[in-house]
Amino acid sequence: MTDAINLLVGLALGANLLALGSSRLPSIIRAAAIQGIVLGVIPLLLKPEFHWLVALVSIGTIAIKGFVIPALLLRALRAANIAREEHPLLGFIPSLLIGASATVGAVILAGHLPLLPEHRGLLLVPGALATLVSGLVLLVGRTKAISQVCGYLILENGIYLFGLLLIRGTPLIVEAGILLDLTVAIFVIGIIVDRIQREFDSLDTGKLTSLHE
Amino acid sequence: MSPGCLLSLALAAMVAGTCCAPRWTRLWLGCTVAATLLTLGAAISVLAGGPWEWHGAFPIGGELPHLRADGLSAFFLVLLSVIGLAGTVYSSEYWSPKKHPGSAYPGRVWWNLLLLFMGLVLLCSNGLHFLIGWELFTLCAYFLITRERHLPAVRRAGWLYLAASHASALCLFAFFAAIAARTGSWDLGPLRDHLELAPLFWLALIGFGLKAGLFPLHIWLPSAHANAPTHVSALLSGVAIKMGIYGLMRFSGWIPTPADAGWVVATLGVASAVLGVAFALGQHDLKRLLAYHSVENIGIILIGLGFAMMASRAGQPGWGRLAMAGALLHVWNHGLFKALLFLGAGSVLHATGTRRMSELGGLWRAMPWTAASFALGAVAISGLPPLNGFVSEWLVYLGLFGAVDGLGPGSAAAVPAAILLAVTGAMALACFVKVVGVVFLGTPRTLRAEKAVECGWFMRSPMLLLGGACILIGLAPALFWPALQSAIAAWEPGWAMDVAPAPLLSLGIWNVGFALAAALAATLLLRRVRRNGIARAGTWDCGFAAPTARMQYTAGSFAGIITEWFAWILQPSRHADKITHPFPSRAAFREHTPETVLEKVVEPSAGMVMALSSAMRRLQHGRLQFYILYLVFGLIALALLAFWGGAP
Repeated sequence: MTDAINLLVGLALGANLLALGSSRLPSIIRAAAIQGIVLGVIPLLLKPEFHWLVALVSIGTIAIKGFVIPALLLRALRAANIAREEHPLLGFIPSLLIGASATVGAVILAGHLPLLPEHRGLLLVPGALATLVSGLVLLVGRTKAISQVCGYLILENGIYLFGLLLIRGTPLIVEAGILLDLTVAIFVIGIIVDRIQREFDSLDTGKLTSLHE
Repeated sequence: MSPGCLLSLALAAMVAGTCCAPRWTRLWLGCTVAATLLTLGAAISVLAGGPWEWHGAFPIGGELPHLRADGLSAFFLVLLSVIGLAGTVYSSEYWSPKKHPGSAYPGRVWWNLLLLFMGLVLLCSNGLHFLIGWELFTLCAYFLITRERHLPAVRRAGWLYLAASHASALCLFAFFAAIAARTGSWDLGPLRDHLELAPLFWLALIGFGLKAGLFPLHIWLPSAHANAPTHVSALLSGVAIKMGIYGLMRFSGWIPTPADAGWVVATLGVASAVLGVAFALGQHDLKRLLAYHSVENIGIILIGLGFAMMASRAGQPGWGRLAMAGALLHVWNHGLFKALLFLGAGSVLHATGTRRMSELGGLWRAMPWTAASFALGAVAISGLPPLNGFVSEWLVYLGLFGAVDGLGPGSAAAVPAAILLAVTGAMALACFVKVVGVVFLGTPRTLRAEKAVECGWFMRSPMLLLGGACILIGLAPALFWPALQSAIAAWEPGWAMDVAPAPLLSLGIWNVGFALAAALAATLLLRRVRRNGIARAGTWDCGFAAPTARMQYTAGSFAGIITEWFAWILQPSRHADKITHPFPSRAAFREHTPETVLEKVVEPSAGMVMALSSAMRRLQHGRLQFYILYLVFGLIALALLAFWGGAP
């Protein structure tokens, strides 16, 4: 079981690097979608016995993070008719390097953290930290609003991974609530993206600086 | 009638006066004068009959009102009502609606409110209400200072005053909040056994010191006093800055003070006295000069207070009582003669339209009443017998001499303090010889001065009233001992003494004798003049054929030697065109004494703060990515803090 979970977390980490290294918006969205699907499967494997609520949340996560949100974002991309090339603040190679070193750092740090014995073999904690950092790098290093939404999604995935540690402690209904929030947030951001596009003819958030007062 | 009854009548009259102020001049004048007289009556009955207290039943701001008039607050209330009375009558002619159509009526409303709230501050015995009253009177004074706000200089002075006042209010908020936090109640009263409150005195010293204008916290004072309408300057200088002194006396009496507080207060007092008068000597603006004399006199009051605090700590009432009496009496005296001088300066301004001494001169002939009262005030402020300034300064001297004998290790400090006090008196005399000489003697320097006419009776009578009070305190100081005694007893209960101290009695006799001798000499001189007549001749002109009035001795050259001694702090700027050719050509000489503390210390450091804040503003640039980065850094800092900062 542990090996399967670690494999999935590894896949999620790969999706991080994919998102950090790609220059085109649709591939970033797809990387986030893949990560969402992979992470949606993990709760099923964490609990030895089957529980219908876990299954429900798992299916919901896969559906929303893997299909609904990416579809929304791709639609916004088409509707807003924006250039699909990214002009990053932080280059792709430096982003990748930061992402990779964050992954290494997260593994080292997790070794020093006072974890519960049953979590020691899992990659959940380093995976969560590395995903958090990758999400932040995307948020900070990219200028297009869509890619920032993806950064936000990946950041949330990191938090979700961390939350899985507590799957025995917290009711899944909390995770379900977070998922709902996320969907609504993405929905709202989709609308805002549309508005920004109409107002500024661009989705470059750098052009919003004139609103800073 | 009881003080409470008189005070409520005064309140009613004051409110009625405030309501009448925007329309009916006579009603306003009558009501306000009645209110000040009723307040005076209440204060006298407190001084004579003992403290008065009143507890309200309805809370204001969550606290039940608590008014208390003891000897100390009644003592200041007397000053407030006398100066308020004089200023009210004076302003009815000086700032008349005919001359200032837009600003006279609102000015009256603010004036009445200022008087009302100052009275409230003196009576409040609840920290919260004290702060409310303090803030309100500060704001009223701001609106009075900026009556002529179309002038940039007035606006600048107003802002400076407001900024300094709020710095002071900030300290006082901290002070009262800390007291309330320690004692568990906003109610004020004697807290002499709460020894842990002692360090709070430093907060009070900054807060009240800023208001009182002690050196180097006086930065707001000269410009505010110079630019306010003159009756407002008189009230500000006579009473408003005394509110700072009231606060210092009140709370050095009610809460314990740190061991070296007396020394600090006395040192600040000496610095204020000497430097205040040095700055005054460098001024060429009549009202600005008077404003710097306020700094000097606040210094004299603080010397007395500081030594009284030392005596209280050393447990030596003998000379401490004299120093405190000197400080208290100087509060009255400075209020009286400084208001008198300001009113005189206001009459000059009213008649000539200028405050610049280099444009005045020869006014004694045109304005004998104003000139005589101003000269009387000048004699009083210079601390010359037989007037009141000498009485209070003499009491401070006696306290200092007593300290030399009594105060073991510290007696050495009393000697330099006494010497510097004497230096201050001498320099004040030099300064007022300069003022009276340049403004009232000689011949008019400009057409404005030539065309001056004497002011009317509404402006003359307040000056006569204040001058009369100066003479009365000078000739019969023992008459006022019960009031002083009552105030001292409120400050330090153990120090009460019913009989006036012997030096005060003998001083009264000496002063009367001195006055009689002076009057006799004057009569003899007058007789001689009458008999022989006055011979008039031209001034010796050094062979120069065409002298003009502008060639008279100027204020700057008169004070030149003394300002040269203090050039290290005055930093005067001089511009002179040197004549290099053998034949005369156009030449000019300009001298300006800056407000050194403000321009050389406060403004550069404020500029540094401004530069730093503008640099900080660059952090807010509108780039979302960097805002997120700030968050990340903040989180990392918090994580590091949790790791190494000793999380529990």
